[in-house]
Amino acid sequence: MKGHRDLKWICVAAIVAALVAVVVPWEVVRLPAALLLAIFLPGYAITAAAFGSQRLDPQRLAMLTLLCGLSLLCLGGLVLNYLPGGLRTVTWTLLLVVVILAAARGAAVRRRKPDRPGAGWTRPRLRGADVACLVLAVAAAAGALIFASTPLPASKAVGYTALWMLPAEDAPGAALEVGVISSEQGPRRYRLEVRVGEKGKPTRYHLALDPDQERVFEVPLEIPPGKKARVVASLYDSERPQELYRRVTTWSVESTSGEG
Amino acid sequence: MNRRDSRASGRRQRLLAAGPAPLVLIVLAAAVGLLLCAYTNALSREGGDPTQIVYWAGVLLVVVPIAARVGMEDVSLRERFALVALFGLTLYAIKVVRDPFLFTFPDEPIHAYNADQTLLHHGLFNGNPVLAVTSGYPGLASATNALMSLTGMSAFGAGVILIGVARLLLVMALFVLFTRVSGSHRLAGLAVVIYAGSSNFLYWGVQYSYESLSLPLLVAVLAAFAEREAAGPRLARSWVVPIVLGTLAVVVTHHLTSYALVIVLVLLAVIYRLVRSPKPNPWPFAVFAAVLALGWMLIAAGNTVDYLSPVFSGAVKSVWNTIFGESKARTLFQSPSSEVVHETPFLARLITVAAVGLLLLGYLAGFREAWARRAKRPFVVLFCLGGAAFFATLGLRFAPDAWETGNRAAMYLFIGLAFVIAYAVLRLIRKGPRLRLRQAGVLAGIGIVVIGGAIAGWPWDSQLAQPTRITAAGTEIESEPIALAHWIGEQLPEGKFAAADADARMILAPGEAEAKTGDALAIKTILPETSLSSWELPSLRGNGLDYIVADRRRVATDPGRGSFFYVPGSEPDALLPLAAMHKFGERPLGRTYDSGNIVVFDLRDRP
Repeated sequence: MKGHRDLKWICVAAIVAALVAVVVPWEVVRLPAALLLAIFLPGYAITAAAFGSQRLDPQRLAMLTLLCGLSLLCLGGLVLNYLPGGLRTVTWTLLLVVVILAAARGAAVRRRKPDRPGAGWTRPRLRGADVACLVLAVAAAAGALIFASTPLPASKAVGYTALWMLPAEDAPGAALEVGVISSEQGPRRYRLEVRVGEKGKPTRYHLALDPDQERVFEVPLEIPPGKKARVVASLYDSERPQELYRRVTTWSVESTSGEG
Repeated sequence: MNRRDSRASGRRQRLLAAGPAPLVLIVLAAAVGLLLCAYTNALSREGGDPTQIVYWAGVLLVVVPIAARVGMEDVSLRERFALVALFGLTLYAIKVVRDPFLFTFPDEPIHAYNADQTLLHHGLFNGNPVLAVTSGYPGLASATNALMSLTGMSAFGAGVILIGVARLLLVMALFVLFTRVSGSHRLAGLAVVIYAGSSNFLYWGVQYSYESLSLPLLVAVLAAFAEREAAGPRLARSWVVPIVLGTLAVVVTHHLTSYALVIVLVLLAVIYRLVRSPKPNPWPFAVFAAVLALGWMLIAAGNTVDYLSPVFSGAVKSVWNTIFGESKARTLFQSPSSEVVHETPFLARLITVAAVGLLLLGYLAGFREAWARRAKRPFVVLFCLGGAAFFATLGLRFAPDAWETGNRAAMYLFIGLAFVIAYAVLRLIRKGPRLRLRQAGVLAGIGIVVIGGAIAGWPWDSQLAQPTRITAAGTEIESEPIALAHWIGEQLPEGKFAAADADARMILAPGEAEAKTGDALAIKTILPETSLSSWELPSLRGNGLDYIVADRRRVATDPGRGSFFYVPGSEPDALLPLAAMHKFGERPLGRTYDSGNIVVFDLRDRP
């Protein structure tokens, strides 16, 4: 690749981007590296290999880079799907690096003559007014993103509380887990009643939850082996204590593993 | 010019030279436009009822300055190209700031589920319980998986970036294609801006869906094809590589786009023959694309015919019935789930109708000039035909089961229409008397066409964001369907659910669990009815389903509106009768989860 600065750079960039994508844990750093590795570098390398010594103008080069890069991503998964390992970070990285290096090598071979020095991109000249406008534009775009990504209060939206009941997996004996999740607009107090069997005495729990808070209760089951009993968990809101707010039920069966 | 005029002109020149460059000012205007859109959407998410005028003003602030600049004579090719890229990306950003937390458009969760499955299984073709055909076209899932694997991002983050890159490719490819066919980058820039008047440009065309990726690929293949045609024999061979690569990518990404590509190439082959073009006939490319599309359908996506044939036969039947009065014509500006939709205001309807009128006028005015180039550029014939076909598809909007087919076809046909109209626009802004007035008229027309297109393609009450995540007492809470989806993802990731359309989509993504909906296993019928037939629950169990999600909100059947917070007093607040929920308890079935409007019943939990 001697004499072809662009090709040399994309090979180096591919290896650096691959290392960043595989080694670095932070999304913010991995994202630009991934975009380079997955779309721009392979797209550029394939285009360079296809066109050899013929130079494209920036518009066509940009379009072809994206076309070839995106096409490779659509097709690369199919190739990896039938190779050992499948679609993983390492296999994608290997595939993309191999394609970039091979295409860059192909481009260098097809170009033959080294690049003429000085044939490059000219940097646009920015004046003070331009810079000021661009700063304002960046501020406005950042403001848009902040507006978009900041959840706001919505007083008209109706909050709610969820009650759920599932078999407890890690309990020493047979037991159920009963959870209460508050997505109400403000703090709430509740009364939870859990009754095992039609004639069972309800166990009562009192709880207070802030929005986005969850409480999970483990309810042990004392049912004869192999028998089923209806378990009913009822939730009452303290503002209307006599009115049933939420209810979950199950026909629980004592498992053999729970007997010991 | 007298001395006073020349002094004034000199002062103007000096002022212009001292001020910021036009491109920079346009970047600023676009950013402010985006800010206005984000602000209006934030107000709307807050549950307020912001005036949409501010939002549309934001859109216009993006569109109009760019349209004005690309239409000017003395603008360099590079600047026009940069403007077109800015145009595509900023309009895409308007959709991103509308839905910044998760995918809410109807098809998005379906494809996000596919992407999540590729990450889970390290492979493609994992099936999809809501739209099985999507699994047979894994191009989008493959590309998303690459970004997810390399960045560690979610399907949402990777998808947003991927569709952004695809949108950039679309506008760049349109520009290159129009420039090559017309020989004028001024016309090309205008045609790209006019293309934003396509009803799916602002919203539908940028949802995270396979067509949002395949359409830009198709346009780029056509642009490469046009370039190849114009290149010398040595360079022509080089263009074959991107054409072949792009064709392959289109074929594995989306069924309809691959068939559209075949149709376009076949038409071009015929046109080459008819106009006796001296260039080599493109029939080998047409055959190549046809063999690939057919082969892919037979080998990897066998269910495509089952998926597409009811759509097309339904559309044909609907058109027939509407023409011969056997069924009522569809009322315009109404979606299928009209019982929960706000009515489109009169002014918005007027703008849409005016947009169609302007498009027709523009097509008629630009046709002759465009058509004159047909012998030199066979693409022109294709574009002229596409433009005419666009107006034919408008008729489909009156047939209840055909309007969506017409709406989707418009995305392709509008390419030709925009090209032809750009000739009319160029003629209108030629130098001469009252140029300023004519330019202002053209810009107003472009504004009407873009806004009218957006209103025609997306329901009025869905133009702005609705609350999915809000703050309460200093913390964040999510809407009922989304919270359910997250709970399922944590507690029952292996469960298989029957649910209404909107709930099922949320269970797929972000829930990452399996859910069936709609006509599958008569779920659409079972959920709203007030009593159960004896066969219904055994049928669900027999087909491997574990849970049924009963949702009292009528809007839950609407995948575009059903994932937001419940707001009483708004039109989508209608509830099903309580009996629709109680029927499951009467069977009786275990109730696993209850959040008020939504209850999950366990189909296997019985006495």
